[in-house]
Amino acid sequence: MSPFSRLYITLSLLLVTMMAGHMVMAQTASRIVTVGGSVTEIVYALDQQDRLIARDTTSSYPDQVTELPDIGYARALSPEGVLSVAPDLIIAIEGAGPPETIDVLKAAQVGYVSVPEIYSADGIVTKIRIVGAALDQGQAAEALAQQVTDDLSAAQAAAVKAAGGHPKKVLFILSTQGGRIMAGGRNSAADGIIRMAGGINAITAFDGYKPMTDEAVTIAAPDVILMMDRGGDHGAATKELLMMPALVPTPAAQNGKVVRMNGLHLLGFGPRTASAITELSQALYGETH
Amino acid sequence: MSLAVDAPSVHAPPMDRRVQARRLTVALSLLLAVTSVFSLAWGASGTSLWAAMADLAAGRELSRLDRIVLFDIRLPRLCLGILVGASLAASGAVMQGLFRNPLADPGLIGVSAGAGLAAITAIVLGAMLPPAIRELTGNYLVPISAFFGGWGSTLVLYRVATRHGQTSVATMLLAGIALGALAGALSGILVYMADDSQLRDLTFWGMGSLAGATWAKVMAATPIILAALAVTPFLARGLNGLALGEAAAGHIGISVQLIKNTSILAVAAATGAAVAVSGGIGFIGIVVPHLLRLATGPDHHSLLPNAALLGATLLLAADMIARVIIAPAELPIGIVTAVLGAPVFLWILLKRRGALGL
Amino acid sequence: MQAFDIEVTLGRTRVLHGVDFTAKPGQVTAIVGPNGSGKTTLLRATTGEIPFTGRVLLNGEDVARQKPWQLAAIRGVQPQSTTIAFPFTVVEIVRLGLTAGLSAANTDLPVRALEKVDLTGFENRMYQDLSGGEQQRVQLARVLTQIWQPMVDGTPRWLILDEPVASLDIGHQFTVMDLTRDFATRGGGVVAVMHDLNLTAMFADRVVLMQDGRIAAQGTPSEVLTDATLTQTYGCPIPVNTTPPVGMPFLLPQARMTREPC
Repeated sequence: MSPFSRLYITLSLLLVTMMAGHMVMAQTASRIVTVGGSVTEIVYALDQQDRLIARDTTSSYPDQVTELPDIGYARALSPEGVLSVAPDLIIAIEGAGPPETIDVLKAAQVGYVSVPEIYSADGIVTKIRIVGAALDQGQAAEALAQQVTDDLSAAQAAAVKAAGGHPKKVLFILSTQGGRIMAGGRNSAADGIIRMAGGINAITAFDGYKPMTDEAVTIAAPDVILMMDRGGDHGAATKELLMMPALVPTPAAQNGKVVRMNGLHLLGFGPRTASAITELSQALYGETH
Repeated sequence: MSLAVDAPSVHAPPMDRRVQARRLTVALSLLLAVTSVFSLAWGASGTSLWAAMADLAAGRELSRLDRIVLFDIRLPRLCLGILVGASLAASGAVMQGLFRNPLADPGLIGVSAGAGLAAITAIVLGAMLPPAIRELTGNYLVPISAFFGGWGSTLVLYRVATRHGQTSVATMLLAGIALGALAGALSGILVYMADDSQLRDLTFWGMGSLAGATWAKVMAATPIILAALAVTPFLARGLNGLALGEAAAGHIGISVQLIKNTSILAVAAATGAAVAVSGGIGFIGIVVPHLLRLATGPDHHSLLPNAALLGATLLLAADMIARVIIAPAELPIGIVTAVLGAPVFLWILLKRRGALGL
Repeated sequence: MQAFDIEVTLGRTRVLHGVDFTAKPGQVTAIVGPNGSGKTTLLRATTGEIPFTGRVLLNGEDVARQKPWQLAAIRGVQPQSTTIAFPFTVVEIVRLGLTAGLSAANTDLPVRALEKVDLTGFENRMYQDLSGGEQQRVQLARVLTQIWQPMVDGTPRWLILDEPVASLDIGHQFTVMDLTRDFATRGGGVVAVMHDLNLTAMFADRVVLMQDGRIAAQGTPSEVLTDATLTQTYGCPIPVNTTPPVGMPFLLPQARMTREPC
């Protein structure tokens, strides 16, 4: 972890402590809107879902959350839409907006807590502490944080053991729109989960998700291709995928190693990430450790 | 043959279209007023305009929420909707008159391409600016960049197309295509550099929205757009004359170059400001002038003010749909105008191709 | 109207080589000549539609120094053909000739102008639905609306026409030529590019014959329209005042003896 993210987390925690103090002084929020899939999952994990009244489009787990009103995409929130569900607290993942909307919400004296997004175990723990503080559930959050930390350490340790000194190179493909492979580079959620699950990201040449030229994909020579599960039968799609000229020469295509996982589970960086690590590790290295 | 010649024209209007156009102006003004009231009254939240007015009349204090919803959300949004709708429709009408082409729009003079490129640059590279500048622009870096980007690219096109004090609209059109391609390519590079969330921002910006309406935006856009709209009545005779061609327009006493300069500057200002505060909103600038030409003819004396009125009304209506149809979330307004505008446009083409002079 | 040493270069080709010409108020001046001789170019240069070198004076004033609205007050120009960009009605087109301030008060002018070109009742027809000849007369009505009075405060006004009868039937050719003749008789100046030599002979006071960007001859119709000059200019034998072989029908506009309306 870079010194920068350490500093960031420390500062965030400091802020949370101050915020938590503030929240205690104010009355406890009972009409909460969450923005961001992992934030919503943490609210459920803390068993505070009764206080939720609405959520954003990316919050789709657990299933019952989809019964709540959807206030739209996290970065394009409408001020009156959010106010119409009469929230007293909004807990939003970093980057929710637009800023004009957030300004109006703050002017309307709706509590607003921003949760940083960092793709690491510490990042998840930070999220849990901040959400817990916002919910005035500091103790429960601490317990959950401990639990998640333990689970993550165990899952990571098991994953490292499963890799057995021979970590596999994993290529995360976001999409293959128009025959172009959009892959996950450094500082992406995909990169984080691959490393935690004892793999190596096959792509280190760029940050975030970018389309790649065919030859670069071939040279990356991934052992496994990782994709998001979009539901339905993937047999035909996988066959087509492995016939793409850029992928044919790769070990992944020759061994037919394509792993598909639920997007929010895989990339959410929330309470379920330990299970995602385990699932991915098993998919990479097989059931027997 | 003689029968066909003597038969009255199918499109013959029964009476002087000037009278019809004046009546339409009155009707459209009323319609805009009614739509404005509905726009204030209608929203996702439970705030009722009528209850608030009753409270105010009775001298009671409004609740904080009602005050915010009415005065900080719906009212600036209403003002912005009127300004943006009026400037897009009137700019479209001016451009079509200037280029003598019913399909012209402000995109032809590079405003949209320049504004789009500048907005994308601000979204993707804004974070790299020195903190002092970001402090100064605050949340308004994207609109400010879009305005100056649109203005700047129009000036470039204008310089390219002007020689010996004469601006060639044909050159401007071709140079506009080239500049559009260049802006598209540069945007592509920026899109490549953008991260996931910036990509989402770009997409939403391109679809347009009034959701980010604030008094600051209204205050910034109002003087620019009102000044541009105030100029349009003085363009009417010139644009009518240009329908005869540039030479003939000159012979009836029109300073053609002055009309071109004024039109281009007014459209660049109005469209630049509109795009800056609302993103990309399509079809208003094309559909509104066409509808009005069908109703009361192409005379710009009535076409320009009526376009501003109808444009404002339609944009407010589209915005109401955008914000309540999937409440509490909302659709980008550009989607609503395109979904409603495109079929209307196709219908006009099918039914009244002859009447449009196409 | 006087033009001195007019030269025009289009692309790399010099189209006019130092043309001097004069048209007087109270007269109809016709510019004739074969295709490509520079008739229309000369007209467009004198009206400032194309760049040229030389000097053009209108009522003694240099045209280049005047504003469009000043020129529009003393000069109306009818183009050869005009496509209109939008679906205007006939009366809307004619009304464009009402110059702000000058004749704007007289709002029945468009109707009277349409009557003069024999288009009464066409006011609310769509311009683009009319035939070519009708469109041409609408344009003439627009120009007439602009300079309704041939003389204002003792200064003549000018009617400048590019092939005004090109797509008209013979009846309406007379209507239009009578109208221009009348404009000149009442003191205005008329300059017209003409193709029809018979109508030119009948209506023009003065003829300018062009060839290869130069003036080949100018003077009265009987001075210019001779066997020798026409044969030389048009490059084939053109006998003047000769009846065709017996049995072949022919008709000449000159045979209309009186000025009775058509």
